[in-house]
Amino acid sequence: MSAVAVEGVWKYYGDYPALRDVRVEAAPGTCLALIGRNGAGKTTLLRIIAGFSTAQRGKIKIWGKEPREAETRRQLGFLGHGISVYDELSALENLTLFGKLYGLPDPRKSAHEWLERTGLERVRNGLVREFSRGMRQRLAVARAFLHDPSVLLLDEPFTALDDRAIAVLQRLLREALAAGKTIVMSTHQLREALELASHVALLSRGQLAFHGARTPEMVDDPGYVYARYGEGG
Amino acid sequence: MPAAFLFAATVWAAAIAAVVAVIASILFLRTRNFFYDALALAVTEIGLLLLAAGIVTGAIVGHVAGALWWTWDPRLTSALVCWLLYAPYLMLRAAIEEPSQRAASAAVVSLFAFFDVPLAVAAVHWWLTRHAAPAQPAGVAQSAWWSILPVVMLGAVLSWVRLRREQRRRAADAERRSAQTV
Amino acid sequence: MRYVRQIGVIMVKDLRAELRTKEALNASLAFALMILLLFSYTFDPTQEMMREISGGLLWIVFAFAGTLTLNRSFARELPNDCLDALIAAPIPASALFLGKCFASFVLVLAVELVSLPVFGIFYNVHWTAQLPELILVLLLGTWALTVIGTIFSALTVNIKLREVMLPMLTYPVLMPALMSAMRITTVLVNGAPIGADELDWLKMLIGFDVIFTAVSLALIETVLVG
Repeated sequence: MSAVAVEGVWKYYGDYPALRDVRVEAAPGTCLALIGRNGAGKTTLLRIIAGFSTAQRGKIKIWGKEPREAETRRQLGFLGHGISVYDELSALENLTLFGKLYGLPDPRKSAHEWLERTGLERVRNGLVREFSRGMRQRLAVARAFLHDPSVLLLDEPFTALDDRAIAVLQRLLREALAAGKTIVMSTHQLREALELASHVALLSRGQLAFHGARTPEMVDDPGYVYARYGEGG
Repeated sequence: MPAAFLFAATVWAAAIAAVVAVIASILFLRTRNFFYDALALAVTEIGLLLLAAGIVTGAIVGHVAGALWWTWDPRLTSALVCWLLYAPYLMLRAAIEEPSQRAASAAVVSLFAFFDVPLAVAAVHWWLTRHAAPAQPAGVAQSAWWSILPVVMLGAVLSWVRLRREQRRRAADAERRSAQTV
Repeated sequence: MRYVRQIGVIMVKDLRAELRTKEALNASLAFALMILLLFSYTFDPTQEMMREISGGLLWIVFAFAGTLTLNRSFARELPNDCLDALIAAPIPASALFLGKCFASFVLVLAVELVSLPVFGIFYNVHWTAQLPELILVLLLGTWALTVIGTIFSALTVNIKLREVMLPMLTYPVLMPALMSAMRITTVLVNGAPIGADELDWLKMLIGFDVIFTAVSLALIETVLVG
């Protein structure tokens, strides 16, 4: 069974199809890089996989189940454009909150653990609104990984990260892959993503233009996929 | 027809429109077929239009008969309250760009408005008949089947025209969106 | 049980966040007190007038001040895209909804309980004659306000002109509940017990609460996820 299966998904905004018959899979333990131009539908697709919106046609299966089922949601970690943590709460309060929402056996302990792993233990009681940009991003990453999800969905995660946050995220993603987690990551920053990816899917105007294993050519020349399968670098 | 009958006829037409709207809204939420969204919009808009005409007529008739501009007649007032329940439906639609979200949100509002109608009508009637005693001018609420049917049919025709216009507008909108992405 | 705990987590989060900044609370309280003061000063109502309008005045103040709090309910999830994280979390949308309802309920009720003594002072009204019944109406009416305000706060959370749309949607739907609460409150503040007439209004208020709580719970998932 694949970890993530997108089966014939169509998404309409009114009468306009943003996604057209998209079929793609991510096998367990793989990292799928979702690439494409702005407006190609990467964010739309990711959000449908995550269960934030529903496709009019087709299905999403996460470990064979619907994204909105409680068990499935427990398995999903999502990192979107926003950091999804509360400015008025402290780092520790934020992570403890999400720990409780995800039903972790010891939310506080997990919160401390992840503050350590993202280098935020010393500022754990500081309010997020006083954090620097990089600290906020690291906290966002901690939140996404906190409940040990088996499937990680990341929407352009490397965009606008500072160097320290990029390093933290890359380390965590490599550890996650080594532990057998599945990652689907949309990206503009081809190099960072392609280094981690085992598979690549190219979305062009809502349709899947290419889906296959990542090859060395792709890492050497990130524009390769666009040139070969898309509308030209 | 005598103006006095218009009010009652439009109330009937509006009530039918509300029922059609709520059924269409529920069907939209279940099937996500945009035909139902267009239908709900069309009947709600035409229903509001006819009801407004009826309320204005009712107020004028009341004014001529009595001396006040607004008579706080229970039926006239509850018609106004129901109008105020559904008017935000149109405003909400204008405030949401994205068609799927607009349709779903509007359907929810239509449901809330529908469930509120019986409560609002009862509340207005209780309030005005138990705690105040306005002079009720004759003629505001007379109804006769022969005045209701033409108004309802007018409403149906106008709704159908509005429905077609909405469908054409949506098709043009989709064209425009696909032209925009290069 | 887990469901109840989840509601509690959301409720505590909202209350903690609000009590840290007190933005909505201060605005709501200031608004309520200001209207009460302004009305008493500009209209200078007689005891006779007060017998007629006390319920109406109080509930207009409660509804308008309450909306300032209710508007924040889902709007507070917008910065940083926190709403996404809540929707993604494995808690039922109804638990999220109820948690926020209870938090708003507490905040709106707090403003009301402060407004009542102020009302008594400025208008020279002895409002404690039928206190238990008054508290009951306060709770039922505030719940109506909270439920409708919260579901429409969720509905309007990411549309333009949210602050305009929320009152436009909320007040018409609330009308039967407000009228019931106003009617019963006027009678109670005047010192009379709940009679047969008020009982009808009470039934309407309770019916309103039950119906719209049920409708909101049924529709919240649709409202949030689409």
